Amino acid sequence: MSNLLDRRQLGENLWFSSISDPKFKLNRISVNLVVPLREETAAQYAAVPFILRRGFRDCPDFTRLNALLCDLYGASLEADVRKYGGWQILNLSVQGIDDRFALHGEDISGRCADLLCSILLDPKWEGENLNEQDVLLEKQNLIDAIEADINDKRSYALSQGIAKMCAGEPNAVRKYGTVDEAEKITPQSAGQAYREILDTARVEVLFIGCGSPDSARELFARRFAGRCPTKALQPFSKGKAKAEEVREYVERMDVTQAKLVLGFRTGLPETREQQAAFQLMNAILGGSPFSRLFVYVREKQSLCYYCPSRYDKASGIMTVDCGIEEQNKEAAQKGVLEQIKVMQEGGFTDEEFTSAKLSLRGAYLSVGDALSSQEGYYLSQILSGRLSTPEQDLERLEQLTREQVTEAARGVTLDTVYLLTGAEEEKA
Amino acid sequence: MSSLSNHPDVRRVKTELADYYEIKHQSGLTLLLAPMEGYHSTYALFGTNFGSADSCFGLEGEAPARVPEGIAHFLEHKMFECKAGDAFARFAGTGASANAYTSFDKTCYLFSCSENVEQSLEILLDFVTEPYFTPETVQKEQGIIGQEIRMYEDDPGWRVFFNLLGALFVNDPVKEDIAGTVESIAQIDADLLYRCYNGFYNLRNMVLAVAGNFETEMVLRLADKILKPAPPFTAVRAAVEEPDRIAKRRVEQKLEVAAPLFQVGYKLPGGDVSANLLHQPEDEILIEVIAGESSPLFRALYDEGLINQTFAGEAFLCRQSAAVIFSGESKDADQVFTRILAETRRLQREGIPPELFERCKKGVYGRYVSLFNNVEPVASILLNCHFSGVELPKLMECLSAITLEQLQARLNTAYSSEKAALSVVLPQKDEA
Repeated sequence: MSNLLDRRQLGENLWFSSISDPKFKLNRISVNLVVPLREETAAQYAAVPFILRRGFRDCPDFTRLNALLCDLYGASLEADVRKYGGWQILNLSVQGIDDRFALHGEDISGRCADLLCSILLDPKWEGENLNEQDVLLEKQNLIDAIEADINDKRSYALSQGIAKMCAGEPNAVRKYGTVDEAEKITPQSAGQAYREILDTARVEVLFIGCGSPDSARELFARRFAGRCPTKALQPFSKGKAKAEEVREYVERMDVTQAKLVLGFRTGLPETREQQAAFQLMNAILGGSPFSRLFVYVREKQSLCYYCPSRYDKASGIMTVDCGIEEQNKEAAQKGVLEQIKVMQEGGFTDEEFTSAKLSLRGAYLSVGDALSSQEGYYLSQILSGRLSTPEQDLERLEQLTREQVTEAARGVTLDTVYLLTGAEEEKA
Repeated sequence: MSSLSNHPDVRRVKTELADYYEIKHQSGLTLLLAPMEGYHSTYALFGTNFGSADSCFGLEGEAPARVPEGIAHFLEHKMFECKAGDAFARFAGTGASANAYTSFDKTCYLFSCSENVEQSLEILLDFVTEPYFTPETVQKEQGIIGQEIRMYEDDPGWRVFFNLLGALFVNDPVKEDIAGTVESIAQIDADLLYRCYNGFYNLRNMVLAVAGNFETEMVLRLADKILKPAPPFTAVRAAVEEPDRIAKRRVEQKLEVAAPLFQVGYKLPGGDVSANLLHQPEDEILIEVIAGESSPLFRALYDEGLINQTFAGEAFLCRQSAAVIFSGESKDADQVFTRILAETRRLQREGIPPELFERCKKGVYGRYVSLFNNVEPVASILLNCHFSGVELPKLMECLSAITLEQLQARLNTAYSSEKAALSVVLPQKDEA
């Protein structure tokens, strides 16, 4: 059994959830500011956690802040931006070793929690603006990060494919926004963005580790008193349930290997059972080294090195991506679609059905073994608005039938075919 | 039947961070077993001390001969194919998640699972000790690995790294790509695979490291059942004649990237593999001292917009070779290179400030403690230490005992501007 999540509301739109497990040697606190993901605010908001990471009122110096962390046995203070369907998650987290491993009896956990609160709530104000130097540096870093998307061709192709497919839907917006919007960031706009975020976000704090969450919880309640966001986060609309037609896109770049991305609509599985069935369908299709895409497209057709399918519950879309020789594009696409057809006709074997269940079962059982997997699992549960434990998910999984999986597969329709490939003149 | 209590070659090693058993099994295999209380999952690594850098060796006293580049990695792929079918398909029946990886100096087969650990372990021990290669399966793999190599050709992070190794090392085979080239893997056939297998997949050259939720007696029982005593280990690697200089000062490649990527490397004096590993904590502290997030140099470079959050340092180790590498993105990598060299010389000349030393040491110590939070790194560090001939407690003691004088001596003797190189990957558009 996993340790239960202790979830408490500390104020309006402020929640503190914790899991305490003595087997760990670390403590981690993660603050998630959940805001709507919009083209016009994505970049402005995305820069904020990185600007905050530069220092706070009582420790304005970046190097001194880093020295403080190093002194806390290399505690890590990280800024991050994530995406959950049509929501943007601005994340600040701190992670450090437990006090019992301190060589000189230091209070590592308490100081880490305090630091995180200060980073979040006491920025370096210059009147109404955030610190100019910090803003300008992090603005440039954000622009670099957006532009660096193309460095990793696989993830670039995947996000291009999704952006093309979901154009006009909230899910099309990238988590960092666009360079054009990032260019507009100023110390003043950053101050404004910060105030907007703290006024409109849903704040989800997660504490996971071996220590007691009590003092951190009290600290957050105290520091947030009178400062809780006042506006409630609105739900986002999911995209289409079904593709109307297949849209094809080709992008050319100087690459050796072509990347093919197939984007599918999923029928938007609604109930927990339907979502679990879709997840199981995805596992049989392309979620493991014994799934159909791996066995048929990679091993039998020998077309590619990777070819997984992914189901994103938050946005309700499924993707398949692979790296291939350009001339094999039709063969690979045909191979993938054939396997989906097999799923829709219920043509998968009992063995595949059982293996996929076992594999998902293993994943649920091991959620509790790492801080990161617990954080990912529970945050996604919290954001989906339906809290359950890995054990409850397991129970649902065990009860799924072949028919439910086939039904889930029948909701799949091909929406977008995106190919990233070499420059045309080089093909000859 | 074997049990831990009456087994003649069991040693229990207890430290504040980990508690494990080291067992010399009668088959020749070393077992490193770390049961971890409270964890649901188990991670098992079955590894051989054979990697991409072992490209020239002799067996049973014969003269060393070369094998095609990328063969260790190719062999890793092919091991999953068994007479009775695919090993992944067998793991599918247990719910375990299986995988494998090849590095410069080792090849490891692994699984993680939350249930049926005995069945999964049986499959692991079984398929890695049962090679099965045919011309058809070798040919099929050439297509798949060919695409893997293509993928890496477009990967700027991978390219900038191997270009740096090519600049730092003159003859050392670490400079060759782990997966080889499309041309080199075309020369691989079943006979060559068997030659590598018979040479290095000898249990005396291998380790089984398991961490997490399992019974140690069960592992011993399975080892007794499946593993046959190995013949003497006769493989001899050709000595690497690596001169005490670098191959190139600067290497540059153009790829489709947004911002230039760079790696700056110091080639460190080669030593034996144990000495190299014991120096690693020193080098990790020095990385923090020279350019860690709390160092003056990091601050200056960051504030001048010459580096961003992607900047990082790491200690690189492979058998007799060692290097320290700083990597990141920069609009002016040459300037970053110059500044790192200058800061290193300044610290050599003026000495490392004691408070900087204390702080960086604590930071590195904390990172080591963090490794023991999850099952995977525990098995990995046990395996790495064993292949380097160093015991884990020894490594941790070494780290705790590092003094400022010792660190200064390491900096002054091992880090030389003459043996530093820069690798840059530039955007295509600069050329036009």
